[in-house]
Amino acid sequence: MEKKISVGIADMKMTRQEGVLITYALGSCIGVSFYDPMIKLGALLHIMLPEKSGAKDGNVYKFADTGIRETLRKLSAFGATKSRMVCKIAGGAKMFEMKGGGGLGNIGERNAQNVKRILMSEGLRVSSEDVGANYARTMLLDVATGQVYIRSAGRPEKVL
Amino acid sequence: MGIKTYEEMNELEIDILKEIGSIGGGNAATALSSMLNAKVNMSLPKVEILDFNEALNNVGDPEEVVAAILVEMSGELGGIMLFILTKQFSDEILFRMLGKTQADFFELEEIDSSVLMEIGNIVISSYITAMSSLVNMSVDLSVPQLAVNMLGGIMSVPIAMMGQHSDRIMMITGEFKIDGKALNSNMLLLPDVESLNVLMRKLGVE
Repeated sequence: MEKKISVGIADMKMTRQEGVLITYALGSCIGVSFYDPMIKLGALLHIMLPEKSGAKDGNVYKFADTGIRETLRKLSAFGATKSRMVCKIAGGAKMFEMKGGGGLGNIGERNAQNVKRILMSEGLRVSSEDVGANYARTMLLDVATGQVYIRSAGRPEKVL
Repeated sequence: MGIKTYEEMNELEIDILKEIGSIGGGNAATALSSMLNAKVNMSLPKVEILDFNEALNNVGDPEEVVAAILVEMSGELGGIMLFILTKQFSDEILFRMLGKTQADFFELEEIDSSVLMEIGNIVISSYITAMSSLVNMSVDLSVPQLAVNMLGGIMSVPIAMMGQHSDRIMMITGEFKIDGKALNSNMLLLPDVESLNVLMRKLGVE
């Protein structure tokens, strides 16, 4: 696998034909991969929070709602079609067993729910996922093949 | 008045935070020293205001597996306190406390986890106690939680907490040395913006 493109926190990168998009150590965050196999166009989005909800900052990729919509807009500008799009998600872990509720303990779960809800409202289906539990995941999308790999500490790498 | 983002803090205010970090850290080092029966120093604290990706890379390799003890602060001062230990540091502690030489980081036995959790708890509470009595603010601490996992995943917790309203996080950090050896540990105090205003008001800076 050559040409690695790294996607940071609250970030999105896209590429076509070849290259590997990679985002490291997703904890409560979610990685969403988008892939149009016909034109070999792929994008990897790393969101942090479920909703923009009045926050006035400019980074759209921080939130599930604005991040997914912006990614789809860019993908379609490059010729991707929703009907061909394959979406996979990973992350949304609960890294610490927080007691006494609070918004922080279940942020991963809320992220996962919201990502799925938004993808569905955009008419996209999540073809496979690796979410929840209590460990971090590194997510890779190989744009040449559309394969998505998940790497986590102390576990074998798996194909999503 | 007050500030709305971390970047608005001036040099004087940053210096005050360093001082707070140094008093908190000193106290934490003393507590750790008596638990381990060794000489423990803490490095001079650093105050950094970084965007998420900088913050993550600043602490270390996101895929490195570390142990972390996390405590949530609420009351007059809100935020998160994290004590991050590399395998090296955790091994040193388990050796000194339990005489263990080979602990499997991924499959820690219950006794190992309790020792790390307790060390974290004591270190964090001594830090916060010193700090809160210095500034005369009451701080409530949550029950400490331990996780052994990729650093990036662990850092995502404070980043998500601060992230709703800010593109940056502030970290007051310090490192321990046991008997002169730096073993890559990190104490991170991550206050929320609102608490900094309360803090500065209390100290009469403005």
